[in-house]
Amino acid sequence: MAAEPHDPVDGEFYVGYMPEAPPRLARRTRGLVLALAAFVLAFGALLVSGQAGFGYGVFEYGTEREFEGVIEAAPYPVLAIARPGGGASRYLLSSFGKHGAMPLVSDVVGRRVQLRGTLAYRDGLTMIEVVEGSVKPVEGLTLPVEPAARDLGEVTLIGEIVDSKCYLGVMKPGNTKAHRDCAVRCISGGIPPVLLVRDSAGNASYYLLVGENGESLNDAVLDLVAEPIEIRGQLRRYGDLQSLHAAPATFRRL
Amino acid sequence: MSLGYGAVGWNRQKRIYDRLIVGGILAYLGVFIALGLALFPEATLETILLRGLGTCAFLLLHIVLSIGPLARLDARFLPWLYNRRHLGVSTFVVGLFHAVFSLVQFHALGDENPLVSVLVSNTRWSSVSSFPFQQLGLAALAILFLMAATSHDFWLKNLTAPVWKALHMSVYVAYGLLVMHVALGVLQTETNPLYAIVLCAGVAWIVGVHLLAGWREKSRDVDLVRARDEFVDVCAVDEIPEKRARVVMLAGERVAVFRYDGKISALSNVCQHQNGPLGEGRIIDGAITCPWHGFQYKPDCGRAPEPFTERVPTFRSRVVAGRVQVDPRPLAAGAHVEPALIAGEQGGERNGS
Ligand code: FES
Repeated sequence: MAAEPHDPVDGEFYVGYMPEAPPRLARRTRGLVLALAAFVLAFGALLVSGQAGFGYGVFEYGTEREFEGVIEAAPYPVLAIARPGGGASRYLLSSFGKHGAMPLVSDVVGRRVQLRGTLAYRDGLTMIEVVEGSVKPVEGLTLPVEPAARDLGEVTLIGEIVDSKCYLGVMKPGNTKAHRDCAVRCISGGIPPVLLVRDSAGNASYYLLVGENGESLNDAVLDLVAEPIEIRGQLRRYGDLQSLHAAPATFRRL
Repeated sequence: MSLGYGAVGWNRQKRIYDRLIVGGILAYLGVFIALGLALFPEATLETILLRGLGTCAFLLLHIVLSIGPLARLDARFLPWLYNRRHLGVSTFVVGLFHAVFSLVQFHALGDENPLVSVLVSNTRWSSVSSFPFQQLGLAALAILFLMAATSHDFWLKNLTAPVWKALHMSVYVAYGLLVMHVALGVLQTETNPLYAIVLCAGVAWIVGVHLLAGWREKSRDVDLVRARDEFVDVCAVDEIPEKRARVVMLAGERVAVFRYDGKISALSNVCQHQNGPLGEGRIIDGAITCPWHGFQYKPDCGRAPEPFTERVPTFRSRVVAGRVQVDPRPLAAGAHVEPALIAGEQGGERNGS
């Protein structure tokens, strides 16, 4: 029921610089504003409620804890912490922001240290964001920490390369397309690249990506993050960490 | 208008308009964040805020782009048009917050300058699903910035109207970039079909309302003459309400034929400010007043009253046996034409400029 443009509201005419709108136009405009406001708020509610969920990673932001263990380079920096019942838990290490922890621990690899940091964890994989300057060597046991690495043969895995820090809970979502640029920045900064693989039931497993000669692959995978990837390589397990050893040139986009 | 830019009063309507914009944006963000954190306790506030700001800016852009065609379809939307610039600038500001928070979230505290990182992190230009979507958003924001920065009439005058209008038409480029930014960005992560449906509905609405407005205008334009020669009969005097106009199409050009104080004057229908339809305006205090932002022109010469300088082309007219006739050959912008007198029914054929 649009009025003719010549006839705004029954002959009322109004330009914005006039002090007051004529009554019928004012009433109608008020009604439209209210309707639009109601629509906008309902629309916001609809958009926010349709989201898929944010994953159950945890980042203990603001909480620092003390840790003691042996620094390993796998080739990514790891803290192996002796379990009370024997064996060790291995926690990935990172530094503040989008930086890897290697600069903080490179001169204490293989040694026992105390350090302070903040935990991020998800599905059994744990990372410590190490507080700069908190790493202190202590006397005692050095490498090797049991169990030693075990070769599990060649496997082909399909998954997504994620930066382990964000995915474990620092950012949500910490993977897929919307997070791609951040994953590139994190992995480029030294955060360990991890292949995230989900089974048909949706359970996640994680594989540190390592080169054929045991080298870190941070720079080699930057263009391959946040996309479905197939990797054929040597599966290796040491303690509770798994790694996949393969030449990045053989990684296949799906 | 042409002078006194600094002195534009923040009148009552502007204040109400601005309060509604700010109140609306805050209410939207409030609902989005409160409901987001309540429904998804595991979510991080940063992500909810990012998404709230992004969807808010995109929704605002849809509203901004709808106002023009809606006002062309129904004059009762004109009060939304008058201060549309404020809504456009608000859209840019909300988009800027979205961009800055994204830059901090995704690119700061890394091994590269964040402003460089946003350009170089993703270079998968040959892929569809992995296409660099953040750069698309950045390009759109740059366009919105240029528009916001030049939105004041000062710039319309200084850049000249054609340049300014071309620049501001680029809002449709920005809109296209943002549609891609959403489709190739968050829609690749959030796979709920709701979002694809909403995006398609938004695009369909914007395209539809523009086509409808254009089509409605076209269908009213029955061209009365092909060749530009002698006087053409356009309508009966009585068909034009007092102090108002009838718009007719003459040899491909819209002409507004005004009736006032026993006289008839014909001018180009196109306002020099932003192409508003003068023929849908009124004669107020003896001057034709554009319905969009109220620029004024004297009916007998198409010139804005002093000290303003806008001019529109005029047309000669005459009244014969109660019928209005107009010469479809336009005179120069601002050329004086003696108005046709209705009572005496003598034409204003003398061109006295
Ligand atoms: S278009 Fe703005 S006043 Fe006419």
